[in-house]
Amino acid sequence: MVIVLGETPVLAKPIPPVPVPVVPPELVSEAEQFLFREARLLDEERYQEWLGLMTEDIRYWMPGIQARYRKDKKPRLDPKRMAYFDDDLLNLRRRVTRFLSATAWAEDPPTRSCHIVSNVEVELTGRENEYRVYSTIVNCRGRNEAEEYWLAGRRTDMLRRVGDGTLRLASRQIVITESVLLAKNLNVFL
Amino acid sequence: MHTALATPFGRTAAEVSTDELRALLDLERGIIDRRVYWDEAIYRLELERIFARCWLFVAHESQVARAGDFVTTYMGEDGVVVARGTDGRINVFLNSCTHRGNKICLAEAGNRKSFTCNYHGWTFGTDGALVGLPQEQLYQVTSPGFDKRELGLKRARVESYKGLVFATFDEEAPALEAYLGDYRWYLDVLLDNDEGGTEFLEGNIKSRMRCNWKFPAENFAGDSYHAAWTHNSGAIAMLGTGVGKSNQEKSYQVNMNGHSWQFGLDMVGNAMVLGEQDIVDYLREREEKVAARLGRIRSRMVGAISSANIFPHLSFLPGQSTFRTWHPKGPGAIELHTWVLVNKSAPEALKEKYMKGVMRTFSPSGTLEMDDGDNWENATQTNDGVVTRRQKLHYGLGMDSRIEHPELKGSVHLRKYNDSNQRAFYQRWLELMCAQPSAPAVARRG
Repeated sequence: MVIVLGETPVLAKPIPPVPVPVVPPELVSEAEQFLFREARLLDEERYQEWLGLMTEDIRYWMPGIQARYRKDKKPRLDPKRMAYFDDDLLNLRRRVTRFLSATAWAEDPPTRSCHIVSNVEVELTGRENEYRVYSTIVNCRGRNEAEEYWLAGRRTDMLRRVGDGTLRLASRQIVITESVLLAKNLNVFL
Repeated sequence: MHTALATPFGRTAAEVSTDELRALLDLERGIIDRRVYWDEAIYRLELERIFARCWLFVAHESQVARAGDFVTTYMGEDGVVVARGTDGRINVFLNSCTHRGNKICLAEAGNRKSFTCNYHGWTFGTDGALVGLPQEQLYQVTSPGFDKRELGLKRARVESYKGLVFATFDEEAPALEAYLGDYRWYLDVLLDNDEGGTEFLEGNIKSRMRCNWKFPAENFAGDSYHAAWTHNSGAIAMLGTGVGKSNQEKSYQVNMNGHSWQFGLDMVGNAMVLGEQDIVDYLREREEKVAARLGRIRSRMVGAISSANIFPHLSFLPGQSTFRTWHPKGPGAIELHTWVLVNKSAPEALKEKYMKGVMRTFSPSGTLEMDDGDNWENATQTNDGVVTRRQKLHYGLGMDSRIEHPELKGSVHLRKYNDSNQRAFYQRWLELMCAQPSAPAVARRG
């Protein structure tokens, strides 16, 4: 067998980009500012104001991550599988109620949280008032004396412009990188 | 107490004496030496005498329902594959190739006809037998005595109780039925309250905690006492009010063979915390049926405020429907695996509510579980202090609480606010830790 080094039939080929509609820079900036402000509200534990950014029909979903073989026919993410969060507004309010409770011992002294939002990408959806917004998130939590927990994930959000002209979060999917969560708890929204 | 002064660093598990172990637990007075939580040699001995010997929960049958279905898990620190064979049998074998020791399965769940090692391509069947390897003829010629049949993966014994699959690496261990004993009467509250049986819902949330495995296990075995205090904020979030004062004189701790269940007879207290009215309605509608099947007293336990542990580390909350194992990862670390148990015949919409309700209360992000981790980690880590280590722990609640009960089985204790189940947990721990490997199985009581 003669092997000619270099180009071979099995080498992966580049796929040219598909043109995407240009999103107005003002909209990108508005979406970014929304996400940055949201992150700050969480870092400052202003949870009720954070709840105010949600639509009434919010779905907040952070699925559990399973290590499965590529050949596995089951979907990598499955809404029927166990999830860290799969909440409507009522249940987000329940979680916030715990955070704000004077007896939430794991928050007292407060857990120190920093959300870093990046890679914001806005897509038009064909619906006038809704935009799909991708972002990555890195969260660092400091707890007690010297505990530190890092968690990274990719988010897919739906932002909706409501009657008063402001943006709200209508849905969020968070896909983290850890299949075994390397922390004793997840006392944070991402 | 010279043993407490000895410097144990570097010693092996074999150097831990029976006398030393007995001196660590003064269960007559309810005092426990914290060495059981931090000593590396004692931990190594636990792996040998508890985790390599006891019947350990490995899966629910529903997780491996079809031929080829598998999950990977741990027995102690030994990685294992739990796989359903083509003959319908469930097999449990080591997840480590007999050639160079590499893992032969890297996925946590799925369906396969065989497991091929990524290193050299040795392939094992769903029963752990070596079924093929590259260049096999070369082995036949150049490796004297080579016999594929001798190179299968080490298999564990496997037995089930009403859907729960257990395995043990101890050839001498008595049958699972004897290991569980009368605990089966209690398990039926969850596993047999409906003729359709039970299943685990899809998925398995896993997380790490830096705590000794015994803290969460003993907590589920009998620590009703912590619930109202630790979980006040979670109860407020889910119910709108704190954990109510339960009638202690109508609540119990029961234990046998180190297995524990502590409960009230309020029927839906735990289930209510899931925050789903439909679940409470479902349980109430079923009460008469369950009573006809299991008797009145057990029908009141289905969703009641309660917690339980099968020795050593399968814990669950009846009503809340969370099942979990605390896999040891050294004396100061665990990996927590959690699942959701439901009746198979429950409506799909209700199963979805169970799933969400359990996740929002008992998962790492759960409104109740969130406050447990801090406590168990700190209870473990304070033992780094050499003086702190010597300050013994108090397990003396409910010393004279044992009662005779006309219906309840096992060793029955009045009042859930009680350390009786925890003392029984450590008593069983001590028996196993002191039993020499050669001790007859009968002496080890299962």
